[in-house]
Amino acid sequence: MDTLPKENVPAPSTVTPDSRSSDYARKVRTLLFISFGWLLALLIGAGVNALLSLRQLDTQERQVSTRFSARSRALSTIVVSVRGYDDQLERYLLQSQLPTPSPTPDEIASKLAEIRSALLRFPPDQFPEEHFLLGELQTLLLDQENSAATVLNWPAGDRQQRARQFIGEDLLPWSTRILAISQEISSVDGQRLADENLALALRFQSMESRLVWLVGLALVAGVLMSLVCGWYILRLERQGRDRYQALAQSRLELETLSARLVEAQEAERRSISRELHDEVGQTLGALLVEVGHLSKAVSPEDRVTLAQIAQIKSVAENAVKSIRDMALLLRPPMLDDLGLVAALEWQAREISRRSDMEVEVTSQEVSETLDDEMKVTVYRLVQEALNNAATHASAKNAKVTVIQTRDKITVQVIDDGVGFDPNRKRGMGILGMEERVRRLGGAFAIQSAPGKGSTVSAEIPLHPIPSLVHEP
Amino acid sequence: MRKIRILLADDHKLIRSGLRLLVEQQPDLAVVGEANDGREAVALAKSLKPDVAVMDIGMPNLNGIEAALQITQSNPEISVVMLSMHSDESYILRALKSGAKGYLLKDSAESDLIKAVRAVADGKSFFSPAVSKVLLDDYVRKLKRSGAEDAYDLLTPREREILQLVAEGNSNKDVANLLNLSVYTVETHRSNIMEKLNLRGIPELILFAVRKGIIS
Repeated sequence: MDTLPKENVPAPSTVTPDSRSSDYARKVRTLLFISFGWLLALLIGAGVNALLSLRQLDTQERQVSTRFSARSRALSTIVVSVRGYDDQLERYLLQSQLPTPSPTPDEIASKLAEIRSALLRFPPDQFPEEHFLLGELQTLLLDQENSAATVLNWPAGDRQQRARQFIGEDLLPWSTRILAISQEISSVDGQRLADENLALALRFQSMESRLVWLVGLALVAGVLMSLVCGWYILRLERQGRDRYQALAQSRLELETLSARLVEAQEAERRSISRELHDEVGQTLGALLVEVGHLSKAVSPEDRVTLAQIAQIKSVAENAVKSIRDMALLLRPPMLDDLGLVAALEWQAREISRRSDMEVEVTSQEVSETLDDEMKVTVYRLVQEALNNAATHASAKNAKVTVIQTRDKITVQVIDDGVGFDPNRKRGMGILGMEERVRRLGGAFAIQSAPGKGSTVSAEIPLHPIPSLVHEP
Repeated sequence: MRKIRILLADDHKLIRSGLRLLVEQQPDLAVVGEANDGREAVALAKSLKPDVAVMDIGMPNLNGIEAALQITQSNPEISVVMLSMHSDESYILRALKSGAKGYLLKDSAESDLIKAVRAVADGKSFFSPAVSKVLLDDYVRKLKRSGAEDAYDLLTPREREILQLVAEGNSNKDVANLLNLSVYTVETHRSNIMEKLNLRGIPELILFAVRKGIIS
């Protein structure tokens, strides 16, 4: 078997178009990964940012509302306690004219202390306006404390005499004033609250717009990336399709080429064989006949000439023999003269003569009028298999079986040689056999293992299915 | 004296003229026709009715074997000598099956043609000496490799005698007369011979005889 070069030859490490394109693909892949990373980071960033901002806004809103409710609570305490004081003092001063029992000066003083403590409970984080107004309240309270100290020490006579005047000129304006200032503080606070709520709303709005912007950006980037990816995928698909087509095309071409090679080889062999046999061989044959005549024409005493003629004859005979051998090898005329089986038997004996292998041929129902192509295919297949068995496998026995059935011909060549691994070792001879069989739409198989001999078999349809046969 | 009338069939004119020259040197032989292919040979054999047809195996249109078959079937009295380059038994067997009486190698045509023509005209068979040598070599080699014994050794002297007579072209009746036996006995011997030698038909028997050098 002619062995093909081993397949595990290291590939040369030069830059091929393939390695360039794989480099390019790697770059594109990296780019895609980076882009996806950015897109993901953008989305996560937007989400986290929105979450944090919302939490912050919430906290601020809570703070604002706590602050203002504390203020309004303090203010209302002040107002309530001022009213209480006012009421108590009035009742104290007018005690004789009222049916209910009058409060004691201690009770009144405690009311004043209540006012002070309410004033002190006002949240300390005051704005300037607030602070100013609270200061005024402080001053008013101080005045009232002084006035109260005086009034409460009045003897009963004084009290009756001056009560009305004090209530009308001092206490009432004072409480009115306090209430007015409280009202003012409250309205300042209301203004403040509105301002702070507005600021919060503005911040919420800005956060919202930032979020919209981020999401929009991510969306645009995503769309852009999808477009790029889609384009890239389409490109890959197209490349794959193109490559597949190119591959299929080149395989088809290769098959056609090898089919043509087989055909051309056979035609060439036949024509050379015919030329050798018909022209050269026959001419030499005729020459031999003429030499025979010549030797009879020469007188028996002329030994020198006779010896020369004998020499010519032997040279010509050798030439005839070698030409015949060549012609036989190229295209055995047995195929045409005797048909397939006889030609196979001839071949079997020929190989038995030349080698140490004995070949047996068995045939069943094989027609003598097979297509030329079929005959040649089977003949060459058997020839190749037997040559392999005798030359490479050192077989001692081989068995050729040819069976014709209604729709196919089955050929089998079994030898008891050393065998080989058919998956690893495929020579030109085997490829040639396979090609010939496939050309006729047949199936070809080799079974062999080192030390187990080998079996070459083929099944060829007699009426090939048109689609399986290559156009010539 | 009546000359032996010969038809030459070969697709090469050179060969035909060489053969004709050989034949015409003999006073008792005459070439009555030349055919260029198998079809022409069949036609000429029918019209000329020669005694002997010398026929090349490889001819266009109709090859020598097919032509010989047609000739011997329609005119059994015509003896055919096959002319071939091959000494392989495939050829010889096919030639014998087609009814040929002689088998002549082209190499030795020059020296053996006359002998062959005379032999077949006399109702005998003729094979080039090189043929029986090749056949014998194949036979011996096969026996040696397979370790089988020569079936010929299994034959009794009487069977060998009958084998030779049958191979030479004698009918059962001829053999019976020659050996002074009954036809029935000859038939029994013959089928024993065929069985011992594992032969199918007279052509294979003749081939065997040629191989063993019993006839030539």
